[in-house]
Amino acid sequence: MTHALLPHARPARQGRSARTRSDKLGRVGEPGERAAEGTAPPLGDLLVATATGDRAAFGLLYDETAPRVFGLVRRLLVDAAQAEEVTQEVYLEIWQTAARFDRAKGDAVAWMLTLAHRRAVDRVRAAQASRDRDLRAGVRDLAVPVDEVAETVEVRIEHERVTTALASLSDVQREALALAYYDGCTQSEIADRLHVPLGTVKTRLRDGMIRLREVLGVTT
Amino acid sequence: MTGADGTAGRVPDDLRELAPAYALGALDEADRERFEHALRGSPELRAEVDAFRAAASGLGEAVPPVAPPARLKADLFARLDDVEQERAEPDASAEAGGTTQVPAREEPAPEAETPAPETAAPAAAHDELAARRGRGRTGRRGLALILASAAAVALIAAGAIVGLNWSGPNGWGAQREMAALAEASDAQQTTATVSGGGEVTLVSSADQGRSAIIAEGLPDVGDDQTYELWYIDDAGIVSAGTFDVRGDETWRLLEGEFAPGVAVGITVEPAGGSPQPTSDPVALLET
Repeated sequence: MTHALLPHARPARQGRSARTRSDKLGRVGEPGERAAEGTAPPLGDLLVATATGDRAAFGLLYDETAPRVFGLVRRLLVDAAQAEEVTQEVYLEIWQTAARFDRAKGDAVAWMLTLAHRRAVDRVRAAQASRDRDLRAGVRDLAVPVDEVAETVEVRIEHERVTTALASLSDVQREALALAYYDGCTQSEIADRLHVPLGTVKTRLRDGMIRLREVLGVTT
Repeated sequence: MTGADGTAGRVPDDLRELAPAYALGALDEADRERFEHALRGSPELRAEVDAFRAAASGLGEAVPPVAPPARLKADLFARLDDVEQERAEPDASAEAGGTTQVPAREEPAPEAETPAPETAAPAAAHDELAARRGRGRTGRRGLALILASAAAVALIAAGAIVGLNWSGPNGWGAQREMAALAEASDAQQTTATVSGGGEVTLVSSADQGRSAIIAEGLPDVGDDQTYELWYIDDAGIVSAGTFDVRGDETWRLLEGEFAPGVAVGITVEPAGGSPQPTSDPVALLET
């Protein structure tokens, strides 16, 4: 959920990270919860301030979130130079479109990661035929990040929800989701990669996502 | 721009089932286009996608953070002056999002109410990005300007039905796609005059497999007739949708997949369109 999940992360933001998780779960607008936070401005507030052209707020927002955005982008792109370029594009887009953020619909990190993921996937697709793509093919792609989650999960209780959600998926569902989300594969590419019929991939992705949504408590 | 609620119930199950994969960004091109087409007309589908995206972001949060190099922030801030920010609604606090937009409850209020910067600003910004990367500069500023004016017209049209304007062929979803088209590093444009008056510009991206037309000064062909778009190649002629110039609608994303080398024709057809052209084209654009 947050960089506080890193074993070596600074602990100061834990209050805020709890809030953003609760936003994700749809329990928004609970003033008591927010009031109980630490002194750092919530990311949602920073994003709202960013929309007004507040560079200091944007700078704080960047400091607080860049490792997560960069981590995700690099996971998809592998190539560090490309990941840096895309990360910068992501933040330029955040700067530009912060006014679109609606905290009633989700938390700030989810909003930014969704944006980052979309841009990274776009770049993956653009580079589809390139060397980078070939380099990424292989066993590494099949490694589901559950182990990495497990290393850090004890840090944050709310982060267990993601781990629990992932753990509640079947192995094949998790594999399909990982290839899609972390490697930017399309359904057909996943089918090719796994040597299973396209319909099977579609079913795994759909069932896995439905399960993930249920366990994470995301409501429509 | 109307009928968002009316079309919502008509989303076929096979499309609805694509929502999870769409949220993951995992749809293949053809499915993605089909889905996005349906998405434009369906608030329900939009809500599904939002929910699945929220779930997917959980996957993003599971990735271990990695500190980016320090110079990234400096580079980023050095570029902020080049990017025009979309304006926040002056009165709407973030907490008020969506409260007045009943039909468009699945979209944040700022998106529904400020379609012009939505489309124009990204186009300008990405234009700038492209320029800075030293590629694709030629013609892209012009494209951004065209898109900006198209969006401005869309704003006027949208003003009448605020809250519904995100759906439909010129709605928010389409505007977003339009902006994405402008973002394409391989975006091409060609302009042709229209017999009967006006001119039409085709914007296309082979990478994205889509194209759009921007019509300027075309005559209204009345209620009984409509302009129809056609993709034309060696395999034949396929309808790419219809459009009218009533209500200041001046641009339209073409239905179906764009492939380089295809020609785009425009004919005047009976209202509702025809399966195949029944008249000579009023304009022909080669790619």
